[in-house]
Amino acid sequence: MAELVQQIPKASENLQQALHARAKGKRRVRLFLLLPALMIIGIFGLAPLSIALIYSFLEPGTYGGVEWVFSTDAYVQFLFERDIFDDTLSFNSAYLQIFGRSFGLAIFTMFGTLMLGFPVAYFIAARPPEQRNAWLFAITLPFWTNLLIRTYSMLLIVRDEGFINLALMKLGVISTPMQMLYTDGAVLAGLVYSYLPFMILPIYASLEKFDFSLLEAGHDLYASRMQVFRQIVIPISRPGIVAGCALVLIPALGAYITPELLGGGKKLMIGNLIAMQFGSGRNWPFGSAAALILMGVVLIALLLSLRAGAEKENRHG
Amino acid sequence: MIDVRHVTKRFGEGATAVTALENVSLAVPEGSFFTLLGPSGCGKTTLLRLIAGFELPSEGEIRLDGESIGHLPPHKRPVNTVFQNYALFPHMSVARNIGFGLEMLKRPKAEIAATIEEMLDLVQLGAFAARRVDQLSGGQQQRVALARALAPRPKVLLLDEPLSALDLKLRKGMQSELKRLQNETGITFVFVTHDQSEALAMSDQIAVMSAGAVQQVGTPEDIYTAPQSRFVADFIGDTNIVTGELLGYEGPMARIRFADGPPLTVKTASATLVPGPVHIALRPETITVCDAASEAALLRGTVRDATYFGAGSQMLVCLDDGTEIQAQVDRPSPVGTVVGLSCDTSMLQVLAD
Repeated sequence: MAELVQQIPKASENLQQALHARAKGKRRVRLFLLLPALMIIGIFGLAPLSIALIYSFLEPGTYGGVEWVFSTDAYVQFLFERDIFDDTLSFNSAYLQIFGRSFGLAIFTMFGTLMLGFPVAYFIAARPPEQRNAWLFAITLPFWTNLLIRTYSMLLIVRDEGFINLALMKLGVISTPMQMLYTDGAVLAGLVYSYLPFMILPIYASLEKFDFSLLEAGHDLYASRMQVFRQIVIPISRPGIVAGCALVLIPALGAYITPELLGGGKKLMIGNLIAMQFGSGRNWPFGSAAALILMGVVLIALLLSLRAGAEKENRHG
Repeated sequence: MIDVRHVTKRFGEGATAVTALENVSLAVPEGSFFTLLGPSGCGKTTLLRLIAGFELPSEGEIRLDGESIGHLPPHKRPVNTVFQNYALFPHMSVARNIGFGLEMLKRPKAEIAATIEEMLDLVQLGAFAARRVDQLSGGQQQRVALARALAPRPKVLLLDEPLSALDLKLRKGMQSELKRLQNETGITFVFVTHDQSEALAMSDQIAVMSAGAVQQVGTPEDIYTAPQSRFVADFIGDTNIVTGELLGYEGPMARIRFADGPPLTVKTASATLVPGPVHIALRPETITVCDAASEAALLRGTVRDATYFGAGSQMLVCLDDGTEIQAQVDRPSPVGTVVGLSCDTSMLQVLAD
């Protein structure tokens, strides 16, 4: 008996060691499995970002590239214009306007996709489960074609000799073609079209398990249709709405192909501005700086909205 | 008082239309615990949804305290529902769920808070006010659903099989709990169930439904001891239905006899049956076993099987015409013996069909 009692501490020590070893082994396996993803993020994500950060503080080379001289000119240039003769700075809002237009278009795109996407997501969630996959397939169908081609076909539809103008003229509604191509409206329509699935899918995901008897419960408890929508449907689908808005707003801000083709390069968005700096503009530091400023603004906006969301959650909790 | 008048409900149009309720009329007395009882598909839930306003009647009228409400949307009816799956709002706390109805009615904040408090006490969930509903057990969710539906003080509370998702022990507890709530609040409860023992235990009145029609309305005792039709006799408890011969009527009673036995005077559900073979209901627990040759024996048969169930035994007796009779007895006769069955003739009931 006494021997047995003595063995107990030893056994528990062994157990401790074994558990420790196993935990260590598990950690190693986990790290090993994560490695490929970490490498990809490191090589193709963080490394280019660091290069952009470094370049944004250098001077532009004459034929593109950079001169290895420290300078904050790229950031100054974003807000001010340097006089060629006396080097004085004067405020220049041209780039701010481009940012403003980008944000404006992106926010309109977000609301446009939300207004169109929410009813679609709700509709699909309300179908019997066996029909939903077919609807989801239809939503993802455009992804089977390259964005460039889809945007080109939009161009063919809205241009002066395009489908809409021809149809309207045949019907006698208008006598001369309407200018639709190369307008903000065309860019907005293109963006809404391209990003609509990114709004529908997360909202659908949040409504997929929605219990439609909650609507009856709401009506039964004296809520009108509008109140049921505002008090029950919207709050329950909020995570999907927030995710959809982020998924649309952020890429729409940096959109390149759509404003390039449908805006004709006249209506610049940030994406086009950045691309231009690395191409014909030959100002790599400024392109890098513009990209980083955009990223900074988006990050701050995202953090603020997350905090606001968390507060809302707490208040309702 | 709820007055359902000649209500018909059809789903679908034309040739594919399904009739869920066919010319149903019912009166639910104010302040009573009224149960709609029937097998699934009998139309009881449809009737409940018509009273709640989730469906509109194809024909007929529903009145509440004399006012026609059949055409009103659910949020304009002073009627609340406890749903089968509870349908609690997952994004709200227990307290906000309970206060939702009053909030929608735009009652003052102080009144809402006081009512929430009162309701939490009533369903004994005081400590759970701030909990999320998905952190509650099934029984607790059930209580929240009850409190939420009672909080606006509806004239009528509708309960759609609310106990079916609970396990047996909780269900028994909730049965007495519901009865207590009904007594304390004095609100009319309309309770839907397919469980006849639940209905018998809780109700002031039961409406037995089948195939979209009300078969019989009455107190649990009425329904149990004096079923009107074969369906009701069969659906409520274990019943033996034996064939006898109707000889004629004697005032409100019927004169019948079994096989070549003596004439008996028994209750009858119908005074318009033609003399000849009729169905007679006979409850297993009213049967006593006697000697086959005895004068008291109303029926004779052979014992086929006997099952001991603790409080007694269930005996299966096969009559000469092949009818199998269940009898509850203290001590079963051996299998294969021929026995006589007798019972208090006041417990026999001639059925309408």
